[in-house]
Amino acid sequence: MLEVINLVKEFNNTTAVNNISFKVEPGKIFGLLGPNGAGKTTTIRIILDILKPSSGEIKFSGKKIDQNFQNITGYLPEERGLYKKNKVFSVICYFAELKNIETKKAHQLTDFWLKKLNMFEYRNRKVEELSKGNQQKIQFITAIVHNPNVLILDEPFSGFDPINQQEIKELILALVNEGKTIILSTHQMELAEKLCSEIFLINKGLEVISGNLNDVKRKFGTKNIKIEYNGDATFINEMDEVVHLDLYQNYAEVQLKQEAYPTNFLRKIVERIEINNFSVLEPTLNRIFIDAVSKSKGEL
Amino acid sequence: MKKIIAIAKWEYLEKVKTKTFIVSLILTPLLIFVFSFLPTFFASKEENRTKVIGILDETQIYFKKLSSALSTYKLPDSQPQYIVVNLFKPNLLIDTIKSRANNDVLNNTLEGYLTIQRAENDSQIVEYRSVSVANFADLKRLETSFNEVRRREFLIQNNIDTTLLAGINANVDVTQITIEEGKESKADFLTKYMTTFVFLMMLLLVVVGTGGLLIRSLVEEKSNRLIEIIMSSCNPDQLLFGKVIGLSGLALTQVFIWTLVGIAILGNTLPTIISFENIILIFFYFFFGFLFYTAMFVGFGSTVTTEQEAQSMTSYLTMLVIFPIVLAIPALQNPDFTAIKVMSYIPLTMPGTMILRINSAQIPTWEIILTMTILIVSTYLMIWIASKIFRIGILSYGKRPSFKEIFSWVRQK
Repeated sequence: MLEVINLVKEFNNTTAVNNISFKVEPGKIFGLLGPNGAGKTTTIRIILDILKPSSGEIKFSGKKIDQNFQNITGYLPEERGLYKKNKVFSVICYFAELKNIETKKAHQLTDFWLKKLNMFEYRNRKVEELSKGNQQKIQFITAIVHNPNVLILDEPFSGFDPINQQEIKELILALVNEGKTIILSTHQMELAEKLCSEIFLINKGLEVISGNLNDVKRKFGTKNIKIEYNGDATFINEMDEVVHLDLYQNYAEVQLKQEAYPTNFLRKIVERIEINNFSVLEPTLNRIFIDAVSKSKGEL
Repeated sequence: MKKIIAIAKWEYLEKVKTKTFIVSLILTPLLIFVFSFLPTFFASKEENRTKVIGILDETQIYFKKLSSALSTYKLPDSQPQYIVVNLFKPNLLIDTIKSRANNDVLNNTLEGYLTIQRAENDSQIVEYRSVSVANFADLKRLETSFNEVRRREFLIQNNIDTTLLAGINANVDVTQITIEEGKESKADFLTKYMTTFVFLMMLLLVVVGTGGLLIRSLVEEKSNRLIEIIMSSCNPDQLLFGKVIGLSGLALTQVFIWTLVGIAILGNTLPTIISFENIILIFFYFFFGFLFYTAMFVGFGSTVTTEQEAQSMTSYLTMLVIFPIVLAIPALQNPDFTAIKVMSYIPLTMPGTMILRINSAQIPTWEIILTMTILIVSTYLMIWIASKIFRIGILSYGKRPSFKEIFSWVRQK
């Protein structure tokens, strides 16, 4: 387990990361979410030991991280780039060797991954001769070639076409199943919603929301319910769990309180009106995120 | 340590294969050759055509003897170097002769012409007229020949035995010998000049070459954010040392190959051109100078983000390295010049200046030990400062930091 404890990072007069803490469990994808400039990259850089924190610490498997931690991490930065003039094979090997892999082993691993991603034919080509999508794949290989325990992916799907996106997604899921600790940083909420089981929302260096995705949705999502019915539904307005009601002839939209359970609500109304259709509108992470960010703005 | 080796290996192996490196490997000795040998080569090269020179001897005393004196100069194919034409015509005015001769010179039938006039106190005025300023060697020969003839004539007029002339004319060259403890050695200005020049040029080209490569590789890594992946795999010091070691290896490869080429081409004549007596000292200053400048390049190079910034940074730093070369000749002529002594204590100019001084004079041992100590300490300090700047510099993109900011990076612990 990777633990981030009371992390603070100050640059001159600005606080990029302000006292955040979270835990990342192996075998799950942890979503580090937030708008641009929220402090995601700074947090990642501190975890990767690129930057030193102003205070706070990072622990892995209960121990404070040290020099060796870098050898078991893999990093796919948001802005991609490789040595353009060098051969694919030597570039991948170099990054493997930087992770303390023996030269011979690095060669084997490089060939293994090139084959696995159907890139073996490009082995001795210069990076700049490859298509952009293929360069991205090479970049992905450089992040995982050394079989890292901790993998940090910053906007991993940007720049991939749908077919490659699928391939990379499957690869990431396979790594999850192997029990790797994976942090996914993105501002694409739909993506996070599909892949992550834990999320941490950060804005202006501060924690906004964190926890299990379903819990977060339950806790922060406004619950909207659509009902199609026969009968007189005006009584709904008087119910305790209802915040707001939009009533039409045979159709109503109800906003429930955060703590209310749609099932209980249904049980109560079913006795008084005839229900033709009942549906809970799931809040999107995007909605939660926007609400939370605008709310935190209002507080400031 | 393993990572430093991996980085050094990468920097060395990948760069040694590049075209830039191979081109500079060939181009650099060529440049050294062009700048050091060619001017002397051209200056000393004999012209291989016979020149027609007119003589207008108003005194009518010197023409015959002067023309026979000039006929002793031969071209390599034993053709005469000069054909002398007597321009004096008793029935023409001097001015008419001159204007005709001017036309001949302009029409290229004459290379130029010499006028000899009588002046006060039994002396002469001798002038040479030609289209362009005359070849240095030609003028020298005309002058020497005329004076020889004039002296002889003078002796004859005063009834003195002309055989004495050889004795009077004999010239004795002063051979320079520098005194070192326990032994004396013949010093040849040219040899020392060449040695100094070759080493200074090598230092310059190696520093600028590697420095340039270093900055360019940093700019590449910064501009495409590769630096982030690298920094997530090793610490800044490892990267810095890896790069410096790899690129120093590159520089050593260059120097080694050039030395081999030099030995192959010059062979036995090498010792006459290069003086080897101070080679160990020279290599010491060369090596630490290289380290010092490279560290400087790394430190300041890490602050730039674009190719243009990299270029201007490289040229500023290059100027610092060139400075001692500008002073090469005055320093050799006067090694005790105060400014040069002062410069040999300033780390920025020391390596070059000391290479200069070592070759031109005997330097007290205490001075050598002192400068060596200063150089070692300042190289260490420079590496330390460079690593401080490097740590932050490589991760700062966009606006180039001010000196104040860079200073604050150095102070950060």
